[in-house]
Amino acid sequence: MTVKAIKAIVLGGMLATAPLAATADEGLDPKDVADMLHAVMDSDRTIYTKMIVQRLVAKEKLIKASEFFEDDKAAPLPAQMFRFGSEMVADKTDLFSYSLQSLWPINKQNAPRTDMEKEGLQYISDNPGENFYGEEELGGESYFTAVYPDVAVAEVCATCHNDHKDTPRTDFKVGDVMGGVVIRIPLDG
Amino acid sequence: MTRNSILWLVWLLGSLIAGAAVAAVMYVGGPRDALLIGETTGAHHQIELACDACHTADFYASPKKVAKKMNKACLECHKTELQVSNDSHPVKKFRDPRNADVRAKLDALYCHTCHAEHKPEITRVSAVTLPMDYCSACHQEVYKNRPSHEGYGFETCASAGCHNFHDNTALYEDFLVKHAGGPDIKDIAILKGAAISRAPDPVSVALASADPKAELQAYLAALEDAPENPGEEAQKQLDLVLAAADAVAPDAHLTDDAVSKWASSAHALNGVNCAGCHAPDAENAEAIAADWVENPGLKTCQTCHKDQAKTFKEGRHGMRFHPKLPKPRKAPKDGVEKLAATLFRDEPLGPITVADSALTTLKPEAAAIEIGSCNTCHKPHEVDIAVAAVESCMGCHDDTHTRNYIGSPHHTLWKAELAGAAPGTGISCADCHMPKIEDRRGDLFTTHNQNSYLRPNEKMIRTVCLSCHSLDFAIDALADPNLVESNFNGRPSVQIESIEWALRRAE
Repeated sequence: MTVKAIKAIVLGGMLATAPLAATADEGLDPKDVADMLHAVMDSDRTIYTKMIVQRLVAKEKLIKASEFFEDDKAAPLPAQMFRFGSEMVADKTDLFSYSLQSLWPINKQNAPRTDMEKEGLQYISDNPGENFYGEEELGGESYFTAVYPDVAVAEVCATCHNDHKDTPRTDFKVGDVMGGVVIRIPLDG
Repeated sequence: MTRNSILWLVWLLGSLIAGAAVAAVMYVGGPRDALLIGETTGAHHQIELACDACHTADFYASPKKVAKKMNKACLECHKTELQVSNDSHPVKKFRDPRNADVRAKLDALYCHTCHAEHKPEITRVSAVTLPMDYCSACHQEVYKNRPSHEGYGFETCASAGCHNFHDNTALYEDFLVKHAGGPDIKDIAILKGAAISRAPDPVSVALASADPKAELQAYLAALEDAPENPGEEAQKQLDLVLAAADAVAPDAHLTDDAVSKWASSAHALNGVNCAGCHAPDAENAEAIAADWVENPGLKTCQTCHKDQAKTFKEGRHGMRFHPKLPKPRKAPKDGVEKLAATLFRDEPLGPITVADSALTTLKPEAAAIEIGSCNTCHKPHEVDIAVAAVESCMGCHDDTHTRNYIGSPHHTLWKAELAGAAPGTGISCADCHMPKIEDRRGDLFTTHNQNSYLRPNEKMIRTVCLSCHSLDFAIDALADPNLVESNFNGRPSVQIESIEWALRRAE
């Protein structure tokens, strides 16, 4: 038998079983995947904020945290930690992407940009404790988009944002929804 | 055969031969000058015939793949530079699908969205193709967020001394606020790195004293990172020192001039004998004579001067030796291609001559000088290593800025240092264009990539200018092209408002 013939048979076999495989693959709903990813992100983010910034910067005053952490020989801010992680993920995979956004962003690039981002951030702000899910098309691709509330988990979150010269809002307190984590999963595979 | 059919035959044969020759040059080897699609910029002129340095995609690759591969090739050489400049618009910021609309306006994922090669008719400095107002694609909200910017068009963002697309390390708001104020020239104006590297060598100072070991030991013990046993370390360093009598070389080379110069050089102080450079692998006198290299170059020097050699290959003087450049195409082993390879072969790039360089402001008498070897600029047997800091540069470069250096305030200070003023108070060509920087271990070395702190010129501020000048003065001076051309003979005629605005916002 020629190599070509073997290839044809293998390919034919794969095609024949494709619907079956697809059914098996549909086991995970994009919403569940997004929820799982967010659970990890949110935990890491909370732990960095509480155990590094709130503890070592605000309470013990052992280190500084600064947006210009390299020049200032300081720890990166929690929002930067989160963004660096998301940028590194984007370097590794395009199976999902995520970002931290807010209706009151210090860095104006983090304001919601797509219609769904705007709708989602407004929703989680109006409905504390609830998440927002939807589908949108960007650059010709369809995405499952989830928006999760990002809450001020420690005193430093509120104080730093209230005091920053570029902040559009100065009355944040612990427990407030300050922004949202947007997770996107492409639907076209 | 009729005359017509003979002519047809000649035409056919001629076409076949010409076609075969073009195919051979494309796929096998040989000079590719004729394939150049347009004049190459000065940045890449020296390597323009190594087509596959940038054009790495396969012949039939999709446009998307070609773009990706080309970008990767750019970064092979320019990645470090972008890291050092803490790139304000790195690719990673644009990957998120939420930036699809931004990318539709300005696809910042690819270098060639803004930079193009071989297209002099549509490019300006740094091979940029976009009109000066490119910031408008994404930063429309600026007038709302920064009312101070009202009235300034988008064409001024990156042309007025305030912002750059990639490197804003000396221009970001917080930095401006922190470094605001201060006299134009600092009370203690000294280049710290130069001060350290041009300070008298402690070993030669010790040797000139009555008790070299005690002197060196005291010096070492007083160091911030003093060795555990300064006495032992002092002895170790003194044991390394070679004197004129220690020189080992074939008799013909042991001239008084060469030996005496070597004996007072850093090489002798650090135990590097003649063979260390002239016959590095030889182990006895016989082998030294057999292996003797008259003019050792980059290959030898780089065994010890690693950081200098690495950066040299990244800059304009040594880029033809960059490790990521493709090697000459190998001759195929069989078939028609093997036959073609006997006629069409790639030559290694080798050093470029001044005459062949793209720079038009070089001295005609320097035309034959080959660039690409350390001893083009350095005279390793000269005790005065300052030669390479000014004289070597002026041996070839003949633009207005270079010519105006003579007699400039920086040159006056340089002459004063050579005459005995404190090390680091003089400013040579190299002090600004090849500054002392730290390597990964934190050790100082002279970067030999004279391009990395050149363009945009604000790149010089942190590494060089701020040693002696205030940030206000440095920003103004660098934003004044006439002052730059005059080699800073005079005062800035422009005043950039960025620091003032930043201070006002910080209040």
